[in-house]
Amino acid sequence: MMPQSHFLILGAGLFAIGIFGILTRRNAIGLLMSIELILNAANINLITFNKFLGSPDGLGQIFALFVIAIAAASAVVGLGLVIAVYRNAKTILVNKLDLMKW
Amino acid sequence: MNGLIQLLNNSGLPQEMVIKATFYPIACLILVFALLVVMSRNIFHSALYLAFVLIGVACVYLYLDAEFLAIVQVLIYVGAIVTLFIFTIMLTADINTGSLGGMMRRMLVSAFATLAILFILIRVIARTGWQKAAQNVPAISLEGLGKSIMSKYVLPFEVISLISLAAIVGAIVIGKGQKR
Repeated sequence: MMPQSHFLILGAGLFAIGIFGILTRRNAIGLLMSIELILNAANINLITFNKFLGSPDGLGQIFALFVIAIAAASAVVGLGLVIAVYRNAKTILVNKLDLMKW
Repeated sequence: MNGLIQLLNNSGLPQEMVIKATFYPIACLILVFALLVVMSRNIFHSALYLAFVLIGVACVYLYLDAEFLAIVQVLIYVGAIVTLFIFTIMLTADINTGSLGGMMRRMLVSAFATLAILFILIRVIARTGWQKAAQNVPAISLEGLGKSIMSKYVLPFEVISLISLAAIVGAIVIGKGQKR
């Protein structure tokens, strides 16, 4: 079996790519996609520790399940917001959205 | 994974080698597709690459004895969330304005910050002496997982269901818009 650290490095890489996406994306939907990448990186770490440290009641897997549920909820609300913002401002580029500035 | 391992045992191939020979290409593919997700100019292509990344992560879950999570990942992420993303992309314009095209300087600064984070993380991972379980704990079965959710962790489970309900209602209210 592969050592634990290789899974963790995969998670770290995915996390870093997600951060890069959040820093560079202009499109609000792209930002939400980067957040999904980061949540997946966290899930990989949770399940890795669950396997290698061994939890008799599968706590890591249950926690990852909850993270998936939260990610789904956040994506639903986020995309609803994107549609509402598009209806009002006719754009979803986050650097052009200054409705709440005055 | 157990069924997979049995299949490997019957086929006569060295099990260790097959696992290694399939894990590293999958990991590389995940990272490449993730980069495409954040770099691609067309946001619709990003959504399709995101589906590949999520399927790859589901494969990684299989290596970690989490078959149920792999199935949930494919069902919820690829089946529901990517579909939602594609719907939203189709309902809004601005398909070709994904990343910061002209702002090269901000791109460079972001890349530098990201590489610094990645460097720190990899250094920490490489330097930590990760401890293993004292004895080999058997992977939890689907039955055990269900019992665990429904007994010890039933309160967080119910809270999650409440959050899901709130998200559904909230999304409908936000997306519905005002009556004219």
